Amino acid sequence: MTQDRLSTTFAALADPTRRAILARLISDEASVTELARPFEMSLPAVSKHLKVLERAGLIERSREAQWRPCRLRAKPLKEISDWVEHYRRFWEESFDRLDIYLSELKKKERKYARKK
Amino acid sequence: MSSVASSKEREVTITRIFDAPRELVFKAWTDPKHLAKWFGPKGFTNPVCEADARVGGTWHIVMRSPEGTEHPCGGVYREVVEPERLVFTNIATDKEGKPILDGLTSVVFEKHGDKTKLTMHTRATAVVDYAVERLKGMEAGWTQTLERLGEELARLQSAR
Repeated sequence: MTQDRLSTTFAALADPTRRAILARLISDEASVTELARPFEMSLPAVSKHLKVLERAGLIERSREAQWRPCRLRAKPLKEISDWVEHYRRFWEESFDRLDIYLSELKKKERKYARKK
Repeated sequence: MSSVASSKEREVTITRIFDAPRELVFKAWTDPKHLAKWFGPKGFTNPVCEADARVGGTWHIVMRSPEGTEHPCGGVYREVVEPERLVFTNIATDKEGKPILDGLTSVVFEKHGDKTKLTMHTRATAVVDYAVERLKGMEAGWTQTLERLGEELARLQSAR
């Protein structure tokens, strides 16, 4: 759900290394090796961070080249700064359901009125 | 139809016509048995739904997502004018009871022939501030960094 997805995104962004990785990917896609360089971190350690980012939908890793470039996915981040849209969607969907429910209620009331 | 007041406060206004008389629509909002049937996004259920629709009365709903996670919310009724207007606070909390969304919602029900024109206006505090407080090890100025990152991304997206 919206709120779950938001929590996953925030948790992914909670780490400074991961935020730095995202900042680096703004300029261009990069390989794991390139991403690891500024942190002097082992490749497995960087890969762990990338997995978290991938799970949060913040990056995607293409299978094109052997070096599997990482690319930024802006959507979750835009969702955070655009939270009002989530809130609006919540109510729009609720109203869709209310619409359907009201027509069911009307049918029931008509049936009940006829029985009287 | 929505307007963003500032980065801290968010306002949402939605207007909809419902094909039902005002009295019925109002009942759907205030009778907990009815409220449980439509409140929340698609696929959600409301295993807990209580509403005491009078001034000072409270409402309390626990929404359950299709994945099974629960989202409690509730608030207090400030105005209840049948069948014209409802004003209530809207607070969503996390598992520990800490508020993640704080809002004031007003709903106006207008007669529209046989139908009802409903206008809902909500003013909510952005969830970003809350999340910033809750996440551990946050650097100072994180919110600004995030906003700048977001703006940069939006700019790059439109430039592509």
